[in-house]
Amino acid sequence: MPQIFPKALNPIAKMLVLGLPLLAATTGVTGAAFYRSSYATGVGETPSQPVAFSHAHHVGQLGIHCAYCHTTVEKSGFANIPPTKTCMNCHQQIWQGADMLAPVRESYKHDKPIEWNRVHNLPHYAYFNHSIHVAKGVGCVTCHGQLDQQNLTMQSSTLLMEWCIACHRTPEKHLRPQDKIFDMKWDAAQHGTNPKTGKPYTQLELGLELKEKHRVRDAVTLTNCSMCHR
Amino acid sequence: MKPDSTDTSETFPVAPPALLGAGQDEFPEGASEFADEPSRRRFLTLMSASIALATGAGCNLRPASQRKILPYTTQPDEVTPGVPTYYASAAPFAGYGQGVLVRSNEGRPTKIEGNPTHPGSLGGAGLHALASVLDLYDPDRARGVTNRGVATNYELAVAALRKALVEESGQPKNIKLRILTETVTSPTLAGQITALLAAVPNARWTQFEAISSTNAREGITRAFGKPLNVVYDFNKADVVVSLDADFLGTGPGHVRYSRDFADRRKLRHDGKDAAQIAAGREAATREKPFKEGVKADLADTLVNRLYAVETMPTNTGAVADHRLAVTSGEVETFARVLAQKLGVAGVLAAGALSAGAQTWFAAQPNMPDGPLVADLKAEARKGKVIVVAGDHLAPSLHALVMAINDKLGSFGQTVKLIESVEATAAGKMIDLKTLTGELAAKTADALLILGGANPAHTAPADVDFAAALDAFSRDNTKFSLFLGSHQDETGVLCQWLVNEAHYLETWGDIRAYDGTASIQQPLIAPLHGGKSAIELLATVMKSAEPGVPAAPRDPQEIVRETWKKWYEAKNKGATAGAFERFWQTSVRAGVIAGSAPAAATATLVATWSSGAAASPPVPGPDALEVNFRACPSLFDGRFANNGWLQELPKPLTKISWDNAAYMSPATAAKLQLPKTNFKWTGGEHGRAEVSVVELDVNGKKVKAPVWVLPGHADGAVTVHLGHGRARAGTYAATTPDEPNTEGQPYRGFNAYPLRTSAAPWSATAKVTKTGKLYFLACTQGHWSMVEKDPVSGKMMDRKPVRRGTLADYKKNPMFAKLPPMATGETEAINDNMPQPKGYKEHHAHDARLHPLNMYAPAEGLAPGMREFQQRRWAMALDLSACTGCSACVVACQSENNIPIVGKKEVTRGREMYWINIDRYYEGPANDVLALTDPNAVKAYFQPRMCVQCENAPCEIVCPVGATVHSTDGLNDMTYNRCVGTRYCSNNCPYKVRRFNFLTFQGNDWNTDTIKLGRNPDVSVRSRGVMEKCTFCVQRIRYAEIVAERELALGTRKEPDPAKGEVLIKDGEILTACQSACPSGAIVFGDINDPTAAVSRWKNEPSNYGLLAELNTRPRLTHMAVVRNPNPAMK
Repeated sequence: MPQIFPKALNPIAKMLVLGLPLLAATTGVTGAAFYRSSYATGVGETPSQPVAFSHAHHVGQLGIHCAYCHTTVEKSGFANIPPTKTCMNCHQQIWQGADMLAPVRESYKHDKPIEWNRVHNLPHYAYFNHSIHVAKGVGCVTCHGQLDQQNLTMQSSTLLMEWCIACHRTPEKHLRPQDKIFDMKWDAAQHGTNPKTGKPYTQLELGLELKEKHRVRDAVTLTNCSMCHR
Repeated sequence: MKPDSTDTSETFPVAPPALLGAGQDEFPEGASEFADEPSRRRFLTLMSASIALATGAGCNLRPASQRKILPYTTQPDEVTPGVPTYYASAAPFAGYGQGVLVRSNEGRPTKIEGNPTHPGSLGGAGLHALASVLDLYDPDRARGVTNRGVATNYELAVAALRKALVEESGQPKNIKLRILTETVTSPTLAGQITALLAAVPNARWTQFEAISSTNAREGITRAFGKPLNVVYDFNKADVVVSLDADFLGTGPGHVRYSRDFADRRKLRHDGKDAAQIAAGREAATREKPFKEGVKADLADTLVNRLYAVETMPTNTGAVADHRLAVTSGEVETFARVLAQKLGVAGVLAAGALSAGAQTWFAAQPNMPDGPLVADLKAEARKGKVIVVAGDHLAPSLHALVMAINDKLGSFGQTVKLIESVEATAAGKMIDLKTLTGELAAKTADALLILGGANPAHTAPADVDFAAALDAFSRDNTKFSLFLGSHQDETGVLCQWLVNEAHYLETWGDIRAYDGTASIQQPLIAPLHGGKSAIELLATVMKSAEPGVPAAPRDPQEIVRETWKKWYEAKNKGATAGAFERFWQTSVRAGVIAGSAPAAATATLVATWSSGAAASPPVPGPDALEVNFRACPSLFDGRFANNGWLQELPKPLTKISWDNAAYMSPATAAKLQLPKTNFKWTGGEHGRAEVSVVELDVNGKKVKAPVWVLPGHADGAVTVHLGHGRARAGTYAATTPDEPNTEGQPYRGFNAYPLRTSAAPWSATAKVTKTGKLYFLACTQGHWSMVEKDPVSGKMMDRKPVRRGTLADYKKNPMFAKLPPMATGETEAINDNMPQPKGYKEHHAHDARLHPLNMYAPAEGLAPGMREFQQRRWAMALDLSACTGCSACVVACQSENNIPIVGKKEVTRGREMYWINIDRYYEGPANDVLALTDPNAVKAYFQPRMCVQCENAPCEIVCPVGATVHSTDGLNDMTYNRCVGTRYCSNNCPYKVRRFNFLTFQGNDWNTDTIKLGRNPDVSVRSRGVMEKCTFCVQRIRYAEIVAERELALGTRKEPDPAKGEVLIKDGEILTACQSACPSGAIVFGDINDPTAAVSRWKNEPSNYGLLAELNTRPRLTHMAVVRNPNPAMK
């Protein structure tokens, strides 16, 4: 029987012995990296919006409280996008002729909602609830980033399941006092001195105390599938 | 039988014998086929295309900025996006209302629940009320106004109506106006019609119900001289005799009756005693539910007893302690004999009783008139007996039953009379036959059909309403207008069709079985711009005065006006604000306080027996009687386009998507019909090949498939009405390749052509074999827990339903805990639950029989779980209370977005129900067809859903971890992880996992309107995913989030586990099945809470774990059926 491959291919075959696993591994790593990349997750992305609403201006400069617009964040799973009426509360008086606000006035006049582009898209099978996170001491900034510095709103987190789970396993890394939920600039050191160490609080020390205080449940319970998937 | 025996009980067959064939074939039918049966070439094309598409779809990794989010422009005050709101209303059913609470998610009604404050509901809800939300989203609803089939608008219809009815001057024309409605109990609508009738002297009103209670009303009129409604209090009845009355399964009061009846069947160590029962029900709320059941120690005197005499087995008969199968011709004879023996004066002569019935009256020592009479006559029973007759029975029988109740002293105690709830207009009523004659002769001038009455389909065969209406409508000098939800059989024959608003879309009012009125409030603007009858009539009336030109009026205003008048008449001199408060309270509560009519006082007139036949006709030995009854799910056909109700396996018969001619095994043998052929699937996949017979009633012929039903009276056939509708819509139609027995492309056959106005309920028929065969989908054999012992070849009896009599219970209250079967869950209960009050200790089991376990229990599952697990969700289900009504199945379907799959898929065993209600027969033979004595057949029901095993067999076989245990004891199913291996289903001993084989499109996946009705809190599953009961995990998590939130914010008190306190109170979470159950047979809660109902129920001695011998430790346990047969009767 004649040889199928000429002898000259031997070095290539030897290289393939090493090369194929390497290729497979590279593909895997590339795939995983791509899956987590900002391109795939959309982290850092700033979708265009029908009205160029700036959180930096309204929150950062004017100091409007988050819950003035997002009224349901403390009582519902869904933190509502404010109705047009909320915009008009102020914009009937100020900037009432601005071109930029034309879509808002149109919406109010014709009773047609403004079609915003969703920034944070969770899959339909994941049921995230704002109210419980806020009640247990997760601040807005933890997931949404420094909104007081963003002009158009940006997706600040990957929203991958590993990102959710990381916090559900160790919530203490992110907990803050209930009165600091909406504070964009808070950090644990502002909480004062830890009587146990005599030094300013670290996030971990404070987080563990708050976990106890806010009755945050254990990591096993918090990572049950049906916590988020129903 | 030995406790550990796997032999089949000779008296307790667990499955149809056809199942014996199951397991012989490796692959089930259909396993090797694709649903759309592509060719090889097409298969390859599809595969390569799907690979290409999968690659393409996989590239779509950037979901961000691709979805829109739309806020309100002005947010309504009461809406918090993400938090559902509940509104009280009342679901209409054949004119009567049942109080409901409707859940609204962002303005879309998505789920119906019972209204705990409504006397007709007490928190439970009937099948039809629960399914009514789907009717709202019915894709085949009429979507606009049509004039002779041409689309037009409402304003033109109103103009035409006004032109026909009202002079230019505004005065009503004195024309021969005819109004056709169904039963009307709405005070507002009745007021409008009465006013219209008064203003138009020649106007007449026809009320037509195909399933009418005319006979009952006529009988009561004979007995008391006036038409009254009868209301029963089953909670106070010690003995109930049902004469072909399915009071637990149908009728406007059946939900309340089920609850009252079941309360006297539940044995509880902390139940009610005689004094508490006599005191009646106190008002209950969600937080403070009723005290339930009767005290187990006093069971002897407090457990009720039901004797059922009936033709076709019903749910009521199935739960009866004694059941007698007689032809419907014999019921009156039975009643007369009973009345004579009870000493009722003036009873006419009775005919001869059949042999079975004679045993009920056979003399015994100390009981000269037989055990039944002795039971009813006993001094202790005085005023605690109810004799109830089916609405379809003859008027003379109803009068007789009133006389019996009178003799037994039931009036004022267990049987109450109230003024008639149904609205009529004296001297202005004509029947359908007269109306049809007038239409045919064109002596009437205008016809208004309101509220979707559909006599073109449902009228008796001798009344050709359709032809008369057609001729009438073709005459341009006449006027006909139909207000209904569909372009149905009647609607298309009218000149004008105005699309009707659903009850969830408009204002209205309606009365319940006991006369309590409710306001119906809209939850959504009419989807297709529909109008209500109230709104339509208002266009020709101003206030109560017809004729004055009226601008369109808000129906709310019209309903308010009715109640304002009522309120002001009742509360003279009330301030304006008082009415407003009353109105708000009434709308909010869903019940108008004080609107129930007071008990009427009436005495039996001496001539009650006049008009009765001297002796009821006795059918000849060869005559076969055919009975016409409402379908338990489609009723008279009005629900024919409701997919949930079409697919629902009918209670008891378990037939889905079809009706059949039901007959007993003996009758079938007499007709020499071949045995039902399940093919080689042995019934497991529900595809039953049955023979077709031709029913011939006086020359009218209908072909019907035969379903042999043990327990059916010999010499009779029962057919269900409501199927075979030509114009109901998509769900009532089939593809031409699966026609019905008549060869038409409709679901089921239409039995109305056999029915005449002279014999609307039963007739003598000739039944002939056609030799043809037909496929029925019957789900009883699906996911059967029965299996063949590989060694002996016998069927293994797992004893899924444990049952006993009260005597058995007294002898050994723990009779249901068969060692070793009970040990798995008993061990857990003993270790983790407090002792019930009054019991010194748990029943000790033989520890040697504890199942062997190589491994230590998983962490958190070990005895003493309370420290590990904050909450432990569990359920208990009392089989004594279950009537098999299937309300839970529909509630579950509605709550959990469960698709319907169609008949073809049902016959492949692919239906998606998370709850199955199994029906088990008990009788002297193992073979269903050999159960030739219908009186010896007993039936039991067992709802079966995922039992949330603590040692779950499904979890250990899932290769991807899609089903895992949660710390609170739930067997979580994660759809997005599931890859569809189906290993879990193979390993599930309970067979409660359902695989979504196809996307089941064509049913409701792509239907735009149905998308609106889905529950947003539950994932809509696509194909390739396993699913199962989750204990309504979305409701658990919702309540948990509320409680945990309040705890974190300090607005809820920290519970002290040492005191047995829990964070989430009992009753804060109701699963869909639990809240729907009319008889309150299901409780759900946290077994860490010793005071929770679920803990108390599980502590009852009759509690047992289904297949607990497998050491699965089911969190859902069942309670054994305890029946209370008369010891003097065999």
